Amino acid sequence: MISTASALPLETHPARLAAANWVRTAICILLLAAVVACLTLAFGRTGERIAVQLCVNVTAVVALGLFCGNTGIVSFGHGAFMALGAYLSGILTMPAGLQRTALPNLPDFLAAHELSVWLALPIVAIAGLCFAAVTGSAIARLAGASATIATLGLLIITHGIAVGAREITRGSQTFFGVPRVTDLTIALGAALVFIVIARLYRESRHGLFARAARDDPDAASALGISPRRTRFVSWCLSGALATVAGALYGHMLGAFSPASFYLSLVFAHVAMMIVGGMASVGGAVAGVMVVTLLQDTVRQFEGGAELLGFVFPEFFGLTTIALGLAILLVIWLRPQGLVGSFELGPGADAPFLRRIGRGTKPANDPEKVAETMLQARSLSKSFAGVRAVDDVSFDVPTGRITGLIGPNGAGKSTLVNLLTHQYDADAGKALINGTELTKVRREAVAGKGVSRSFQNLRLFRGLTGYENVLVGSLAAGRSRQLAAPVAIRELGDLDLGEVAGKTADALPYGARKRLEIARSLSQDPSILLLDEPAAGMNPAETDDLADRLVRTSEARGLGILLIDHDLKFVNRLSNWIVVMNRGEVIAQGLPEDIRTNPSVIEAYIGRGRTAAEAQFVPNKTTRVLTVGVDQ
Amino acid sequence: MELLLQQTVNALSLGGVYAMLALGLAIVFSIVRLINFAHGEIMTFGGYGIFLSLVFGFPPVAALIIGLAAAVVMALAMERTAFRAMRGADVVSLLITSFAVSEILKVLFQNGISARPVPITFPASWSGTYQVGDITFGVVPTVSILVTLAALAGLTFLLRRTVSGMAMRAAAEDIEMLRLLGIRANRVVAVAFALSGLLAGIAAVIWTAQRGSVDPMMGFFPVLKAFIATVLGGLGSLGGAVLGGFAIGIVEVLAQAFLPETLAPYRDAIVLAAVIAALLWRPDGLLPAAKTSRS
Repeated sequence: MISTASALPLETHPARLAAANWVRTAICILLLAAVVACLTLAFGRTGERIAVQLCVNVTAVVALGLFCGNTGIVSFGHGAFMALGAYLSGILTMPAGLQRTALPNLPDFLAAHELSVWLALPIVAIAGLCFAAVTGSAIARLAGASATIATLGLLIITHGIAVGAREITRGSQTFFGVPRVTDLTIALGAALVFIVIARLYRESRHGLFARAARDDPDAASALGISPRRTRFVSWCLSGALATVAGALYGHMLGAFSPASFYLSLVFAHVAMMIVGGMASVGGAVAGVMVVTLLQDTVRQFEGGAELLGFVFPEFFGLTTIALGLAILLVIWLRPQGLVGSFELGPGADAPFLRRIGRGTKPANDPEKVAETMLQARSLSKSFAGVRAVDDVSFDVPTGRITGLIGPNGAGKSTLVNLLTHQYDADAGKALINGTELTKVRREAVAGKGVSRSFQNLRLFRGLTGYENVLVGSLAAGRSRQLAAPVAIRELGDLDLGEVAGKTADALPYGARKRLEIARSLSQDPSILLLDEPAAGMNPAETDDLADRLVRTSEARGLGILLIDHDLKFVNRLSNWIVVMNRGEVIAQGLPEDIRTNPSVIEAYIGRGRTAAEAQFVPNKTTRVLTVGVDQ
Repeated sequence: MELLLQQTVNALSLGGVYAMLALGLAIVFSIVRLINFAHGEIMTFGGYGIFLSLVFGFPPVAALIIGLAAAVVMALAMERTAFRAMRGADVVSLLITSFAVSEILKVLFQNGISARPVPITFPASWSGTYQVGDITFGVVPTVSILVTLAALAGLTFLLRRTVSGMAMRAAAEDIEMLRLLGIRANRVVAVAFALSGLLAGIAAVIWTAQRGSVDPMMGFFPVLKAFIATVLGGLGSLGGAVLGGFAIGIVEVLAQAFLPETLAPYRDAIVLAAVIAALLWRPDGLLPAAKTSRS
């Protein structure tokens, strides 16, 4: 479990990560610059034309990926932003004389501006941002596939409007007279700026929150992150960028129609994003290159060609078929895209970053938490007639470890979900210092000082160990400068220094369990709810975890609600035990009283056994008990 | 009164087509988590099946049956070639796969048959009208409502009363568990695809009977509406899909009948915007599917 050698000091991790992130950005930029240089040097004018097209595609796909990659939702709606940008910028920059003939009925406020493209682009970006804010307020409410379909709806709606608004867009006829100002300098410059923006966003607070909510919305909201808000923020930034990309595209084409921004463009951009890898900016850049070059190669055969003696007939749509097959091959063979699920380039543990010595001092242990009381009062919840939790009341004060035990199906996890407002209670309430948790938003529970872990691990899979804890620390409202030392402290406390740079998915089970606890503790909670923290751990790991929990709870004075069905583990740690069975609290009291309570013994091992059997047994028997309880 | 009744028939007939397409999408989605973008091409292929069999001189009724069969075959072929290899992949990968399949098929239709609409002529008696009292109704819309209702009733019976239907409903809840119980999951999935193909085939029959032609994009646009219908009804919920389909059909016909002339070009935009507004009010849809995730 412990990796040998080469453990880099945890304190330098934030500095190494920052350096690695800049290197990754530089790699994206160099990759694009190199391909553009090759194209222009090797193929002259044709190469330059392809390079411009490539750079414009990079802007569009990076903008698209900024939303899709960070939220995990594929958008088909970005064609709408591109259309908005192209038409708006076209109208604003068009020569007035030409505009009078092309668009005689243009509303006055749009007519005869003749702006330079540099003045038009900021206006276009702001318009895009407003459009994104309006559409995002609807789309961000939806998650997963529903959101994707809603974006498709947006595309259809915008297309319908573009075709219908003849006085502004010339309807489905060609819109012409747009100055063709997108040359290689502008296109490449824009692509580089977009790459930097997308990279910065991805590693920023909002980007981390968005990716956390993408990987596990429930865990993110338990930390105080609103998944809907992360989708909204990503959508707005992405939409504004896509609008600018659309303007550049329009200024590249010079003439276009609503069909130019409809399904075939969207299909091409989605293909680029998926082929390269949706989860990273490097993937977007690589995907654009591969697909643009593929498109340009295949297009030459579309009108029929002779190759190696074979005569190929004219075949309209060959590029579409090539794109389709490229998507299918990539998805079958490499579902995360050519680049994979991580950014191109080194991670924080790369050997050449070893020399970075700038350390982040772990934050001091937090002050002892103020006295706080979490109370369950008559909480009830039914699922389709089954009373999972029935009129449950008990207290979890700070400075005490409260054990909650009960056989499987007793309602323990449901109870935690009620306390943290993951579920809505049918009746009763959960209070913290008198405030009703059952009435605040789910994302606000963490802010009241209640943090939780989950029974089935819920880590942010696409983030590293350090980033997982950093997200918790940032979500507690700290600035980046304050959040990093806290994350370092928690990782150190739970002996996770070696896994800081590894992705959560790649960690051994015990480390993942501890990482989840570190993530919760990074929020400096007053009350910590641990849902089966020791499940699946071996005895040595369980003992180790127990020691750490006792130490933390004593040092910080926090209250822990410890849920488990391992009696020995709960008994050893708790100063107070609550026993649940079939949704009801059947007993609560000091551990020694609970041990001898006949109804507890009955619930656990059935009638006619002795307390001794339930209690002072080695681990082996406990496991037997647990199995028995499952029935 | 007359207008209202006629529009009601139109709304139900259009809504019925959307409902069947949406139901086909929902059956497949609920079992394999696939949002099948290529569902429209199944419908289009059904339409071409009718067209080709008429060209080869089959009688109209036989042509309809061949059209249905073509849609079913297409659905099964898609499942076998493209989607079976992807079983268990995440929703995004599946969606993109079907998106690619849809684009490829459209190009093949364009090159293999025609990029332009090809005509389908049914006997004149099929497209006539009849009178009830003073009011004239079209035969095709009326028949299509009856066919839709029969198809929905048949499917409900199948899902509720037969073994494969129950297996399918069970698969929608938990396909892994079904496998552990010794039921062949591939078979269940294939039946689901066949049913969705059959529904798309019926939709193709009704659609071609009403419009008299087939083109490569025939299925694509109604299926876009059907997607929206599945989300409106609650993604993964079968009853929701039917409800959503009828709702969109009704709103669309209302918009067609009562929107002022100046707004006519924006009709689709207005209908979809209304639906998205409805989602603001109920983000999980009108009849949300049951959630089974545990924390």
